[in-house]
Amino acid sequence: MSSGLLSIGVSGLAAAQLGLLTTEHNVTNANTPGYTRQRTVQTSLVGLATGSGSVGQGTDVVTIERMYDKYLSAQVNTSQTKLSEIDAYYAQISQIDNMLADPTSGLTPALQEFFNGVQQVAANPSLLSARQSMISSAETLVSRFHSIELRLDELGNDVNGRIEDAVSSVNSYATQIAELNQRIVIAESAYGQPANDMLDQRGQLINELNKLIKVTSSTNTNGGLNLFIGSGQPLVIGTQAMVMTAEASNADSSKIVVGLLSATGDSIELPDNLVVGGELGGLVKFRSETLGRTTNELGRMAASMALTFNAQHALGQDLLGQASGDAGFAADFFSMATVQPTVRQNANNVGNPLVSAAFAAPTYGAATDGNFYTKLTTSDYRLTNVGGGNYTLTRLSDGKSLPPPPALAADTLANISIYAEANEGFKISIAGLDAAGNSYLIQPTSNAAQNIAVNSIIATDSRTVAAALPFRTSSSAGNTGSGAISGGISAPGFDTTLLPAGGISVSFVSGTNKLNLTDLVAGQVITYKVPGGNEQSTTVLAGAPTSTLIDYTQGMTISVSGMNFVMTGTPNNGDSFKLQRNAAATTDGRNSLALGKLQTQNTVADGTATFQTAFAEMVANVGIKTRELRVVGAAQESALTQSQSARDALSGVNLDEEAANMIRYQQAYQAAAKILDIGSKLFDELLQLG
Amino acid sequence: MRISTAQIFDSGNRGISRNQVDLFKLQNQMSSGRKMLTPADDPIASAQALVLTQSKEVSSQYLRNQDGAKGQLGVVDAQLTALDDLMQNVRDKVVQAGNTTLSNADRGFIAQELESRFSELLGIANAQDGTGSYLFSGYQGAVRPFSATQTGANYAGDDGQRLSQVEASRQISTSVSGGELFERIRNGNGTFATSNGGNVLGGINHGTGVIDQGSVNDLTLWNQALNSPGFGDVNIQFFVNAGVTSYRLYDELGVELSTTAALPADGLPFTPGQSISMQKTTAPAQNFGVSVVVQGTPADGDRFVVSPSTDQSIFTTLRNTINTISQGISTSAGTTSTEFTNNLAANLINIDQVMANLLEVRTSVGSRLNEIESLSNSGADLQLQYATSLSALQDLDYAKAISDMAQKQLQLEAAQLSFKQISQLSLFSML
Repeated sequence: MSSGLLSIGVSGLAAAQLGLLTTEHNVTNANTPGYTRQRTVQTSLVGLATGSGSVGQGTDVVTIERMYDKYLSAQVNTSQTKLSEIDAYYAQISQIDNMLADPTSGLTPALQEFFNGVQQVAANPSLLSARQSMISSAETLVSRFHSIELRLDELGNDVNGRIEDAVSSVNSYATQIAELNQRIVIAESAYGQPANDMLDQRGQLINELNKLIKVTSSTNTNGGLNLFIGSGQPLVIGTQAMVMTAEASNADSSKIVVGLLSATGDSIELPDNLVVGGELGGLVKFRSETLGRTTNELGRMAASMALTFNAQHALGQDLLGQASGDAGFAADFFSMATVQPTVRQNANNVGNPLVSAAFAAPTYGAATDGNFYTKLTTSDYRLTNVGGGNYTLTRLSDGKSLPPPPALAADTLANISIYAEANEGFKISIAGLDAAGNSYLIQPTSNAAQNIAVNSIIATDSRTVAAALPFRTSSSAGNTGSGAISGGISAPGFDTTLLPAGGISVSFVSGTNKLNLTDLVAGQVITYKVPGGNEQSTTVLAGAPTSTLIDYTQGMTISVSGMNFVMTGTPNNGDSFKLQRNAAATTDGRNSLALGKLQTQNTVADGTATFQTAFAEMVANVGIKTRELRVVGAAQESALTQSQSARDALSGVNLDEEAANMIRYQQAYQAAAKILDIGSKLFDELLQLG
Repeated sequence: MRISTAQIFDSGNRGISRNQVDLFKLQNQMSSGRKMLTPADDPIASAQALVLTQSKEVSSQYLRNQDGAKGQLGVVDAQLTALDDLMQNVRDKVVQAGNTTLSNADRGFIAQELESRFSELLGIANAQDGTGSYLFSGYQGAVRPFSATQTGANYAGDDGQRLSQVEASRQISTSVSGGELFERIRNGNGTFATSNGGNVLGGINHGTGVIDQGSVNDLTLWNQALNSPGFGDVNIQFFVNAGVTSYRLYDELGVELSTTAALPADGLPFTPGQSISMQKTTAPAQNFGVSVVVQGTPADGDRFVVSPSTDQSIFTTLRNTINTISQGISTSAGTTSTEFTNNLAANLINIDQVMANLLEVRTSVGSRLNEIESLSNSGADLQLQYATSLSALQDLDYAKAISDMAQKQLQLEAAQLSFKQISQLSLFSML
C-alpha cells in the first residue's frame, strides 16, 4: 500500500515538475518571435480494479502541447505578405511622391521660366541678351528633366538591388526550412512526440518568407512541409529547397527579374504577375505599375516638348536671316539625335537584325493658327516576328494588339509602322534579316527625359534662335481698293528655295474677280480655302508661265508652299500685294510668339493636354497611387494587427498566467512531496509494529 | 477572452506611435503652412494647384508683356506727338505762304523754314527706341528706314507689325510701320486728286480757273469706274469760243468722254462755280460718281486733271510743297497767281491728308494703349483670383490645425499615461 502511495506521490512530483519546467519555458520565451506557449497535458493513470473499487494510480503527463491554431497562423501570414507588399510599394512610390512634393522645385518653375524666356525674345527679338536668357532657361529646363529622370533611374536601380537582396534572403530561408523539415521528421519519428520548438522556428521562418514573397504550404504526414509560390511553383519540397534567381530580363536587360532554377540549371523567368505578395511583389508591382509609367509620362513630355518646339522653330528665321532650306539654319532647337525611341532586343533573339524606331513628325493642327501636337502614349510596345514576313505589335499598357480590327491587308512591318506613325507617334524600321520568333521591346519615351538637350549650335550662338518668320507681306503703294493681305504665317512644307528672291506677287483682276499669283516656282503647290469652304489646290506646271489664277473671296486663306496668308477687303483692279523673304528682320518676333503659345496649347497626348497638364497628370497619378497605398496599407495593417491579436490571444504568453501556474505547480509539487512524506511515515509506523 | 503580455506592450506602442505620427505631420503642416505635404495628401488638389500655378504665372507673364507693350507704344506715341506738332507748324506756314500779298522773298524764308522742318521730320521718321532699333522700320529694326531723295525720301523698311502677346488670344502690335505712318497716305481728297493739267497748247493754264478738291457723290460708281478696263485720269478741257466758255471731258488717252450729237459743238456749257460731274456720256454711258467745282474763268485750252488717289509719301508732299513755295509767283518762271494757288491748294489737301492719317494712327495707338490698360486691370483681378484659388487649395487652415494639435497632444499624453500604468501591473511583482 505504501509502495502505491510512493508511486502516486512520485507521479505527482514528476507531473508538477514538468508543469514547472513548461511554465519556466514559457516565461523565458515570452518575447521570442514566433514562440507558441506550451502546456502539459495531464491525465490520471487508470486505477487498479479491486473488490473495493477502482484504486487510482496517480497521474501522468501524456505530452507537452503547443497552443497553436494553424488557421490563425495562416491568417497572420496572409495579412503579413499583403502588408509587406504594400509597404515595399509605398516605400518606393513615396520617394517619387516626395520628389514631386515641392511645387517650387518640380518641373513647373523650370517650364515657366523657359516660356518666360521665349516671351522675352518675342518682345525683344533683336536683343542678344534676351535670346541668351531664353537659351539658359532652356538649359535649366533640360537639366530639370534630367534630374527628375535620374532620380527615377536610381529608383529603378534601387529596385533591382532590392530584388537581388530579397531573392538571396528567400533562398536562405528556403534552405533553412528544408533543413528544419528534415530535423522535425527525425525528431518526431524518434519519440512520437511533436517537435514543438522546431515547429515554432519553422513557422517563424515561413512568416519571414511571407514578408518577402507570398508562399502557400501543404503538410506531409511525416511532419515535413512543402512551400509554393506564384501559381504553384515549388520553393521547398520536404527536405529539398529550390533555388530562386535574380537575373536580367530577356526582354529588357535593364531590369532584374525573379526566376527559378530548373533541374537543367537554366533560370526560368517568373512573369511579373506570378510574383505576388511580400517585398518582391511590392517591388515588381511598383516597377511595372508606377515607375515605368512615370518615367514614360516624363519622357512623353520631354519628347513632345522637343518635337513640337522643334517643329515650330523650323518654321522660323534666325537673326542671321537663315530659314529652312538655307545651309546654316538650325531647324532643331532641342537636339533630337539622342532623343529617339529605345529598341531592346530580346536576349533569345536569333541573328542580329537592326530594328530601330523613330518619332513621327508632330501633327500640325489648323491651317492658319498652327498648333503642333504628338500622338505619343505612355506605353511600351512589343514587336514580335510571327514568321512569313508578318509581325505583331502589342501595346503593353493595355495588352492591345495593334492595329485594331479591321486587319491590315498584310501585317508587314512596313504596314504596322505606317499605322504606328499615324496613331502611336513613332515609326519602326528594320535592317538585316529577322528570324521568326524574334521579339523587340520598343520604348518610345522612356529615355527621352534623360536625353533631351539644347541643340549645341543654338547653345553656342544665340543668333540662331529662329524668332522671326521667313517671309513678310506688303501691299503696293498704288493700290486704290481696300484689299489687304495678312502678315502671314509659315506652315510645314515651307522652304526658302520655293520663294524666289524677288518674292511672289498677288494682283487682283476685277473683270473675272480672280487673284493672279505670279513669279511662282514650277512644282509649287498652292492651296486655298474660303471661309467655311473646302480646301482646293493647284500645282504650278513646269514650263508653263509661272503664274496661276484663283477665284477671290473675302477672307480666303491662301497657302503657297507653307506660306499662309489671308486676303481681306475689296481690292480694285490691278491692286497688288507681295510676299517676299523677310531679309534683315531683326525686330520680327512672330515665330517666338508662336513658340510661346505652345505653352498653353494642347501639344501632348494627341492634342488633349498642355505640357503643364501632362505634368500635373503625372503628379496626380503618383499622388493617387501613393494615397491609395497609404489607405490600403493602414487597413491592411489593422487586419494584420487583428489576426496577430487573434493568434496572440491563443498562443501568446501571459506572464500573470504563468506566475499563477508557477504557484499552482509549486503547490502541486509540495502536495506530492507531502504524499511521499506520509507514505514514508506510514511505513515507519509499520516498522515500529514489528 | 485571453490576452498575452506582448499584446499589452504592442498595443501600447502602437497607440503612442500613431499619435506621434499624426503630431509629426501636423507639425510639418504648421511649419510649412501647406495643407498638402506631398501630392498623396490630396492628389487632385495637387494637380489643380500645378495647373493653376501655371495659369497664374502665364497671366503674370501677360502682365509683364503688357507693361513692355505699353512702354514701346509710349515711345511711339511721343514721336507721334512730336510729328503732330511739326505738321501743325508746317500747315500754318503753308497757309501763310498762300497769302498772295507776300513777296517771293518772304516765301523764300518760309521755304527755308520748311526745309528745316523736313530735316526734323526725317529725324522723327528715323527715331530709335531704347535698344537702338529703329521705331518705324517694320521688321527691319536695324535698317535706317528713311533717306532723303530729290523728290522726297526713300523707305527701306517694311509693313511688319511688331507683336506682343498681351493676352492668351490677343496679340497687339507695339509698333507703327513707317509705311503706314509716312508712306501710305492717300493724296487728294482720299478718293481722287485734282490738279492743273496745263494748257493744251503747252505751258501752264492761262485763265484764272481754280479747281477745288472735288466731292464724291457715289463711291460705288467710282469703284466701278476704277475697275473698268482702261480707266485712268480724266481731263477737263475748257473752250472759249466767242466769249462762251464750255468744257469737254477726255480720258487719259485723249478719247473724248462727253460728246453727244445734241451738245453744242464746243462741248458742255460752263458757268464759273458750277459742279462738273465726271461721267462718260458716249455709249456705253457711265457715271463715275464724283464731281469737281471750277471757280474763276478758265482760258481756252486750259485743262484740269482728276486722277484716282494713290499713296503719296509725307516726304513727297512736303518736298512738293517746298518746291511750290520756293518757286513762288514769278512770270519769269511762268507761274501765275492762279497756278500758285491751285498748286498750293493741292499740297495743302495732301498735308491735311497727312494729318488725318496721323490722327488715325494716333487713335489706333491710343486705343491700343487703352486696351492694354483694361487688360492690365482685368489681369490684375485675375491674379488675385488665381492667388485666392491657389491659397484655398494649398494653404493650411491654422485654426483647425491648432485645434487638431491640441487634441492629438491630449490623446498622446493619455496613451502614454495609461501605458505606463498598465505595464506596471504584474503578478510577479507581488510574489
